[in-house]
Amino acid sequence: MNRERASGHNPDAEDDDGFDPTPLENQRGFGAGLHKKRITFVPASASNGQLTTTTNSQQRPVQDISSLYLNLVLPDTARQPSPVPPEPATLCLPHSHPPSALDRSRMGLSYLSTHGWDPDGRRGLGAAQQGIQFPVKAKPKEDKLGVGMAGPKKGAVVVAREKERLLDAGKVRKMVHEEKRRAERIRTQLCGRGGDLERYLGPGAVG
Amino acid sequence: MRRLGSQPLDRPASLAAVLRHPQDPPQPPCPPTAQGVPRHVSPTPDPRLRRRDGFRKDDADPPPRRVAAMSVAQRVSQELDVELGQEIGYSIRFENRTGPKTLLKYMTDGQLLRESMHDHDMSRYSCIILDEAHERTLATDILMALLKQIAARRKDLKIIVMSATLDAQKFQSYFYNAPLLAVPGRTHPVEIFYTPEAERDYLEASVRTVLQIHATEPEGDILLFLTGEEEIEDACRRISLEVDDMIRESDAGPMKVYPLYGTLPPAQQQRIFDKAPDALRKGGRPGRKCIVSTNIAETSLTIDGIVYVVDPGFSKQKIYNPRSRVESLLVSPISKASAQQRAGRAGRTRPGKCFRLYTEVAFKKELIEQTYPEILRSNLSNTVLELKKLGVEDLVHFDLMDPPAPETMMRALEELNYLACLDDDGELTRLGSMASEFPLDPALAVMLISSPEFYCSNEILSITSLLSVPQIWVRPNSARKRADEMKALFAHADGDHLTLLNAYHAFKGVEQNGGDPKQWCHEHFLSFRHLSSADNVRAQLKRIMETNEIELMSTPFQDKEYYTNIRRALLTGFFMQVAMRESSNSKVYKTVKDDQLVMIHPGTSVASPYDWVVYNEFVLTTKQYVRTITNIRPEWLLEIAPVYYDLDTFEKGEVKSALTRVAEKIRRRQAIKGGR
Repeated sequence: MNRERASGHNPDAEDDDGFDPTPLENQRGFGAGLHKKRITFVPASASNGQLTTTTNSQQRPVQDISSLYLNLVLPDTARQPSPVPPEPATLCLPHSHPPSALDRSRMGLSYLSTHGWDPDGRRGLGAAQQGIQFPVKAKPKEDKLGVGMAGPKKGAVVVAREKERLLDAGKVRKMVHEEKRRAERIRTQLCGRGGDLERYLGPGAVG
Repeated sequence: MRRLGSQPLDRPASLAAVLRHPQDPPQPPCPPTAQGVPRHVSPTPDPRLRRRDGFRKDDADPPPRRVAAMSVAQRVSQELDVELGQEIGYSIRFENRTGPKTLLKYMTDGQLLRESMHDHDMSRYSCIILDEAHERTLATDILMALLKQIAARRKDLKIIVMSATLDAQKFQSYFYNAPLLAVPGRTHPVEIFYTPEAERDYLEASVRTVLQIHATEPEGDILLFLTGEEEIEDACRRISLEVDDMIRESDAGPMKVYPLYGTLPPAQQQRIFDKAPDALRKGGRPGRKCIVSTNIAETSLTIDGIVYVVDPGFSKQKIYNPRSRVESLLVSPISKASAQQRAGRAGRTRPGKCFRLYTEVAFKKELIEQTYPEILRSNLSNTVLELKKLGVEDLVHFDLMDPPAPETMMRALEELNYLACLDDDGELTRLGSMASEFPLDPALAVMLISSPEFYCSNEILSITSLLSVPQIWVRPNSARKRADEMKALFAHADGDHLTLLNAYHAFKGVEQNGGDPKQWCHEHFLSFRHLSSADNVRAQLKRIMETNEIELMSTPFQDKEYYTNIRRALLTGFFMQVAMRESSNSKVYKTVKDDQLVMIHPGTSVASPYDWVVYNEFVLTTKQYVRTITNIRPEWLLEIAPVYYDLDTFEKGEVKSALTRVAEKIRRRQAIKGGR
């Protein structure tokens, strides 16, 4: 039961096939659960350390309660008129756009156009036709990646992480041997067979 | 004033936009005037009876917040020592407790909207307070636009818009720069923490954060926001298991973990208000509770004692795609405003902490400023019908705070046109006018109104009511097989709609025979709560049908056409929700006109689906499903909805060729008949 629980809530110990190759004696002890793996947190940067409502109110000395709350909801920046952008030096004609791809025979379209909406006008609805032009889109999320964690790109090859293996002397020896053979092979490919290089450069140049 | 401690009643309205007409002098928000009758309106969004397509049983459904209007009215009448329903009253969908003496009336935003259909000037009110405007429900948005119009016509009307948002300027400028009145929120500072790096698995990270808080932080309850029922139950299980370990191993305090989501039975929802557990022994570490919730706990529900908030940054949001006509609930990143709101929950009783499971950079760059208001994310056919009934003709220049996309509006107009609620010029038809009387989606209302043509209005009325409440089938994880066996008792081989009807008839039978319906429901894995609310909805709809003189009738049960008639009647409302099998014996269906490939939801009771099915909802998860289906015959489509299934304008494809064959067959049959 112990074993089952330990692997049950430790996702790292769980492999794809659900089998944990770690021998029993090497498994982490009882209670080595999720809370042992700390998640670190950093406090928010100074300006944002607390909810805005509390910090803003301390910024400016205020005389009375009403201006205090006014400060709170209308920060300085909002009350100042935005600087007028300088006149552009160059002039250009307005762009012409290709017409919209909407089906012109739609009943909804004809209704909206009788009330003054132009399908090619690149405008939305509303009093000043300031509304959004296209419907809000969303794509289904099927993973548990956190906010700001980019998922694997479409078409990208997902490289499986190599499994951790336990080593013993025999395995290490085998690995070293394997490595040596690979190095040998690369060298023969690069430097040619039969000591050509040694002939040119003198003994000791290779290896 | 007496204090009634038990009911949580505080509203975190930290700001209020106060509207007055530009010419009026500034005035205090709501003067208790002697003239006229100031009646307050305190809307809380009422869950629309039914949403088309998309999940029904899930969490985007706000909890029945009509209860809020009711309980506030109750509390106020108690404090003023008057009888509820006299001076102080409330009006929610299907229930009106007001009288001629009523001065103050609490109601939901949807209810006020319905009322204004018959009283375009809202002449019964001298003062309207629109609370929780920041939630930006569909009804609130439309009400605001209407109130703006009415304010120009009625100089005597006082309008107060209350919103708990930092976005007050938007409200202010929308309402002709009305004076702004700030009301201090009673909140404590909340310290905010971010992770230094993005998390690979927000679910695991949130579980670990909760445990970490439990191990290291002083006393105080924890609120964790997750997206849906399944995720929440999973997290609760994992946290409880780990806490048991922590107690055994490191002498941690006890922790109670409670899930919270919309479909949870009220008794279980109530448990979140239980006190945190005591320390295990005298002098031991204090206990705490941890609530794992959907975004219900973000605005609509206040739980005292929360000091720590864990925010992974996601919620399930409804979204409507007017091209495929699918409304679905998708897990999406929350907005900055939403994140601030979540953080604020930690500071209700004393200074608190909020742990965000994303980086500060991600907060600034990846999160949008404000959550999209519901009007941008919904199917608008219901709204357009309401607006038409309200006398709004110019849908283009209707002054909404956030106007929807033209395509969404067009789609809504076209749907209503196909349902014959609007004529080709977009004028409201008699059918449309009648349909708007029903607090239902247009498709359901049209189906209900036309059901007498098929001699089955009683049955269609029952089915409509059953489709207007959450799933009546209970399928607990511990007894899935048993639950499925019980459902099979009611199964009708030709359709889930008919299965629903069978279950309802059996339920009524038990009631009539003097049995204990509650016990019976428990034994048969049916939700007594939802069945009785369907019963209630049925009674209300019946009343509306009677006032509109829609006849109630049934085909005799012995008649072999009994079920066929019902199946045909379903099509009068749902002919736009039909799917055709891709090829015989295939499991994949294709929706008509929208060409979405779908499977039939495994919960169906239909034994062998025909090539054509009508579906009630479209469910978008990892796969696309249609749920609650009924077998139909393609001939019926041509007969019942000839305009929608006009072969001359139909787009080329398998569906068209199949329908052409059907039309050919009908013609031949008629020719033979005529020849005789």
